[in-house]
Amino acid sequence: MNKKSIALISVLLMLFAACAGEAGPQGEAGAAGAQGAQGPSGEVSDAQVAAAVEAALADEEAEVGGTLVIYSGRKESLVADVIAAFAAETGVEVEVRYAKSAALAGTLALEGAISPADVFLSQDPVSLGVVAKDGLFDVLPEDILDNVPAWAVDQRGYWVGTSGRSRSLVVDTRDVMDSELPGTIYGLNDEKFRGRLGLAPSNSSFIAMVSCMIEQDGEEKVAEWLTAINGLGYTEYPKNSPQVAAAAAGELDIGMINHYYTLRTLAEAGDTPIKNVFLDGGCGAMVMPAGAGVLSSSQNKPAALAFIEYLHSTSAQEHFTNTVYEFPLVAGITPNALLPDINSLNSPSDLNWSALALWQEKAVELIAAAGF
Amino acid sequence: MKTPKALASINMVILSIFLMPVFYMVWRFFTFTRSFESFFDSWNVYGLLFNTISMFFAVVISSLVLGLLISIILIRFKITGSKILFTLCTLPLVIPSYIGALTYISAFSPKGLYVQIFSFTGLSEINGIEGFIGSWIVLTLFTYPYVLLICSSALRNLDSTVEEAARSLGVKRFRIYTSVVIPRLKKPIIYSGLLVGLYVISDFGAVSLMRYSTVTKAIYTYYEFSLLGDPIIFYSGLLIFLALIISFIQRGSDVSRSAKVSGTPRIPARVELSSRSKLLVYFFFAVVIFFGLMLPVSVLSYWLIRGLSLGNDVRAVFGGVVGSFSASIITSILAIIISMPIVIMVSQYRSKFGDFIEKIILALYGLPHLAVGVSILFITVKIFPSIYQSFFALVISYLIVFLPQAVGGGQASMEQVKTSYIDASSSLGKSKIETFRKVTFPLIYRGLLAGGALVFLSTMKELPQTLLLRPTGFDTMAVDVWSFASEGLFTQAAFSAFILLAISAIPTYILSTRNLSG
Repeated sequence: MNKKSIALISVLLMLFAACAGEAGPQGEAGAAGAQGAQGPSGEVSDAQVAAAVEAALADEEAEVGGTLVIYSGRKESLVADVIAAFAAETGVEVEVRYAKSAALAGTLALEGAISPADVFLSQDPVSLGVVAKDGLFDVLPEDILDNVPAWAVDQRGYWVGTSGRSRSLVVDTRDVMDSELPGTIYGLNDEKFRGRLGLAPSNSSFIAMVSCMIEQDGEEKVAEWLTAINGLGYTEYPKNSPQVAAAAAGELDIGMINHYYTLRTLAEAGDTPIKNVFLDGGCGAMVMPAGAGVLSSSQNKPAALAFIEYLHSTSAQEHFTNTVYEFPLVAGITPNALLPDINSLNSPSDLNWSALALWQEKAVELIAAAGF
Repeated sequence: MKTPKALASINMVILSIFLMPVFYMVWRFFTFTRSFESFFDSWNVYGLLFNTISMFFAVVISSLVLGLLISIILIRFKITGSKILFTLCTLPLVIPSYIGALTYISAFSPKGLYVQIFSFTGLSEINGIEGFIGSWIVLTLFTYPYVLLICSSALRNLDSTVEEAARSLGVKRFRIYTSVVIPRLKKPIIYSGLLVGLYVISDFGAVSLMRYSTVTKAIYTYYEFSLLGDPIIFYSGLLIFLALIISFIQRGSDVSRSAKVSGTPRIPARVELSSRSKLLVYFFFAVVIFFGLMLPVSVLSYWLIRGLSLGNDVRAVFGGVVGSFSASIITSILAIIISMPIVIMVSQYRSKFGDFIEKIILALYGLPHLAVGVSILFITVKIFPSIYQSFFALVISYLIVFLPQAVGGGQASMEQVKTSYIDASSSLGKSKIETFRKVTFPLIYRGLLAGGALVFLSTMKELPQTLLLRPTGFDTMAVDVWSFASEGLFTQAAFSAFILLAISAIPTYILSTRNLSG
């Protein structure tokens, strides 16, 4: 009996050790593959993209292969299809760690040279700036940086934008009149908005907006605003998308979000009584790039660069604009019809992303100190 | 008997590995670049501590009231179906707080299942359950079974002579409970209350989902905010310190350590209830079982059915199932193996060192998982980068908090191994190893397996450490539930949640039935 049970236990141990070793990456690849096959993108332009990628690779004469570890601050539901298509076309084995952009930026800063990551894909420029600030990114080649407009690129070339998004307010059109909405984000500090506001304080884009406000308007004014907003009685959300859902359900009047969640909801159900309101200027109207950079510690830089180039490919850019409802950044891609003209938005024109990144820690401190 | 050197040194090695998270925190506390006061100035420390401590008292008191009330009714009164009621009342134990919180949030959200069903009662006026009230309700419902299990078994073994004496002196029944029975249950009450308290201060899932700012929620928020520096260490250290204090107070009231009652206790006859009070009692149980068990299970079922009818791909959760099982099995087997030298040391060689090890291991049980996870994260990054984000590091982190359960199981069965057996074996010329194989192991393996099973279950439900430390691409059911739910994809979270509950329900059921008959 004893011998039997010992033998059984050791066999089990070995068996599961073997399973454990394989389960992770295989499961991941399987799931990603399945999603890729179902995804709306791909079918039409796969061949074109394959050709483009091949051409790009031939240019660099780099062998692409091996394993690529991506830290993705962008949600799985938004980028898994693109990543799966890249894996399928290049044969690179991709592992993705999904978390919030700010959390991954902090993780990368903590890891430093020992980071297993090759690429950091972030939903906001401030998280990218935090990593760049610590000198953890390689400078990207000119031809990659030149793919997108200058405003969507790190001034020192450490990261490049992959799509654009604007801060906006989602409003429930049943309960909010256009005339009562303010011109800038500071106007939300008003008695008439008591109990009607929603925000996601741990959302990376919200932190980016607060960093921008500190840069533009000074610490004191921002601290005052945060405390005031908290005092008005806001509803806290873990992220942006539930704010849109809440507005659609009539539970929330005004939510501080990025523009695309509203558009996605409207695309799915056009008669939903919500809309995006873009402010007239200041950080509440900030247009910012989501972007990516290659870690200096990467063991597979050719694949990392190929991945970033892939994010600029026609199929990836079309995915970002037609499925995610973001602004495409590569010239020649038609923005989705639901999007406003990016030039009509009143984003501050003089934003320096690396300067904003220096305020990130202060932004978090102010948000925490205001009691969020 | 003198401890063999080899055994002592193995224990030293185990101990130093397992205490690393605490040592690391202590070291970081002494090397902060900013002054200690600056934390209190710039971060909302007092507020968070106040929130944490008020939740501690609220849940401990309500769990004690609920758990004691149920114990007394089921053990001292004649209730038809008391066994099944007991089991149903202990089952909420299997629901991890994050799943419990999710189902409550969903049920009472303005368009939730229960608001829809009961809309005629004006329930739609409730605008969601969250914050202090939400966390309080959920934590109470999923921790009172600890009080029930511990206090009911103490109550059953309580000698009734004193009670009978009081009764014969004409003391009213209610007074007997308040002035005789409950004071005599002081130790199990304190013990189980502090167990609940430990659970409350280290709970991460319920308070995060209910958006109630406690120290644990702050730690995770700072992790998400990317400040993996001083604040996260500060709060983790603070939490570990709180837990250790509670843990040491609790150990002082450990029931099994107190003097054994000599002889068989006199069991009082169960009291007959009037039919009106019976009705009241059944109504009370219906309410408790409804909120503790039916509500979460019905919400999960609703999601599951909706998910299946929407055509959700069940295969999406497969990776999580495989991950959970492999992690739990490996952790439980390692826990059994590692607990053996500790168990032998503690129970066979009564020495100061043995007592010390026992105290330390038991204190580990109360360590908040999130804080241990943070500590291991920093240790692996800064000191052992080769195991950073590895399955190995994750398992070590599980072992640190769950090893005490395996030690407990082993220790209970070790009581059967009398020193005389071992002496007899060695006087027959058998080597120590042979003695262990032929005498000790056969006597203790059941207890070890029971301890291992507990470790298996705890690992399966574990969330915060897994979130922080898992290898890239490694999923567990708990992580799946969490990440689907945080994207609002409840129907997809339901499947993993269901499997988790089903697996945990079996051993809890066995435990509760044994407890009542035994």
